[in-house]
Amino acid sequence: MTAVAQECPVHQGRDDRKSAKIAEANLAPQHGARPVGSFGLSRDLLRSSKVRQAGPAGSPTDDAEIKNPGEVSFFFLDGEEHRKRRAAVAGLFAPKTIVTRHQAVMTSTMDDIVAKLRARGSAPLDELSWHMAVVVAADIIGLTDSDSTENLANRVKAVLDSSLSKSRGPLGKVVFMIQMLTRVGRFWKQDMVPAIAARQLEPKDDVISYMVKENYSKKGMIMEALSYGGAGMMTTREFIVMCAWHLFEKPALRERFLGGEEADQFAILEEILRLEPVASLLHRRAAEDIETKDGAMVKKGEVVAVSIRDANTDEAITGPCPFELDPDRAKRMKVVGPYMSFSDGPHRCPGAQVALHETRIFLDRLFRLPGIRMEREPEILWSPQIQGYELRGCVVACDPA
Amino acid sequence: MVAITFIAADGAERTIDASEDLSLMENAVGNGIEAIEAVCSGNAYCGTCRVYIDPAWRGVLGEAGEIELPMIEAAGDETPGVRLSCQITVTPELDGLVVRTPVSQS
Ligand code: HEM
Ligand code: FES
Repeated sequence: MTAVAQECPVHQGRDDRKSAKIAEANLAPQHGARPVGSFGLSRDLLRSSKVRQAGPAGSPTDDAEIKNPGEVSFFFLDGEEHRKRRAAVAGLFAPKTIVTRHQAVMTSTMDDIVAKLRARGSAPLDELSWHMAVVVAADIIGLTDSDSTENLANRVKAVLDSSLSKSRGPLGKVVFMIQMLTRVGRFWKQDMVPAIAARQLEPKDDVISYMVKENYSKKGMIMEALSYGGAGMMTTREFIVMCAWHLFEKPALRERFLGGEEADQFAILEEILRLEPVASLLHRRAAEDIETKDGAMVKKGEVVAVSIRDANTDEAITGPCPFELDPDRAKRMKVVGPYMSFSDGPHRCPGAQVALHETRIFLDRLFRLPGIRMEREPEILWSPQIQGYELRGCVVACDPA
Repeated sequence: MVAITFIAADGAERTIDASEDLSLMENAVGNGIEAIEAVCSGNAYCGTCRVYIDPAWRGVLGEAGEIELPMIEAAGDETPGVRLSCQITVTPELDGLVVRTPVSQS
């Protein structure tokens, strides 16, 4: 699945990727899926109206299975129903909303994170990035009436992390189901119920208000809120740590980041994301025969597995030295910076700009702290369920307050 | 090639030779029209590729449809003739088209 590393004539084929090895060893497309790695073909397929989401294994992606779309996260929907749901929340992700609303949440959350770090002297970086990712996504979802942010973050983590833990054997499955139900129950009662009650009294601009207005079932609301949690919180936690790791290691890049305009800071973050995409595979099923622009044929019923990593390093669109971290690349190539890291087509990540902004604000503050240093490098792990890397154990320290 | 003129908010004009079958946004980005940001890469989900169609061309191009409206509304842009340039495909009929670009896309 990996694009062939062309020997880079200028830099002897420098490879700046940290997650490539573990991804190569572990990436597991769905059984029988046809691998797709070229950027152009990936884009054509993901944009085609003839494909359907074939997401993570076990997801209700078969049209016949989706009897009640109100109980399915829009992640798994397609066509008109999907378009309507995305349109309904479009305003929450618009660049204008980021400037007028989300930036204030990001900045004040960073104040809390900095205070926590300075008081303790050191902290696990993924704990700090998780804090940011949870608060920002929670504000968009409308999970703002919990007893405390910390408790909300822990309850979301308990559900999402446990939903990803492997259970072996029938007894393991039963124990796992009971644990899950308890954890989801706690999340529902302590985070969702107060949020819903507040919005029944006074609707706000967030996903829960929309779901209340549309009379979503309890199951539908939980599914949607947790999908946002998974899609928005877990991804951003890893992305922030990955960017910090690169910046800690590369003083020149860090200097450029701290001295640069916002646009240049984004270019650096996007280029890191190109090389280290948090999501690696996108599955789609052809609902009818497809002939793409370059003549490729995909038969009805066939599942394709788009490799984001391969698309992101396709020299046809990256230019030479695709594995090298080069923040000027996207502008030179007239391509959007993250390449395929946020997917493409109707399911393209709505939270892309939100994620980039919160990461920029987090790192800009972190790297300006007096005495900031990385005391321990992260360990790079692989999550088979999300088919992505996880960075754990990174410890950062700064001068005490 | 199809000649399309972009007029920036400060009045600066540039005419590009646009390629058919690509979107107006792709042509703009490819020709370095900086007022078109297009951060979602043409998926009608960022609203940062907005253009204002010259009155003379609005009949040809029509108004923004339901795919474009959510993001145009989210941008709070009520300028007459506003469209998302990523949703306009360049065809020979657009030869001579004139569009304006906003002061800021966010
Ligand atoms: C670096 C951080 C992030 C990455 C790498 C990322 C990546 C992705 C990718 C690749 C998809 C597309 C899946 C597909 O095409 O099948 C996606 C979808 C999605 N993302 Fe993100 N995401 C990030 C942050 C966020 C944030 C912050 C939010 C919200 C607060 C969010 C909400 C969503 C939602 C709701 C979807 C489903 C969209 C749909 O199916 O129509 N994401 N994300
Ligand atoms: S490029 Fe994002 S809306 Fe047109």
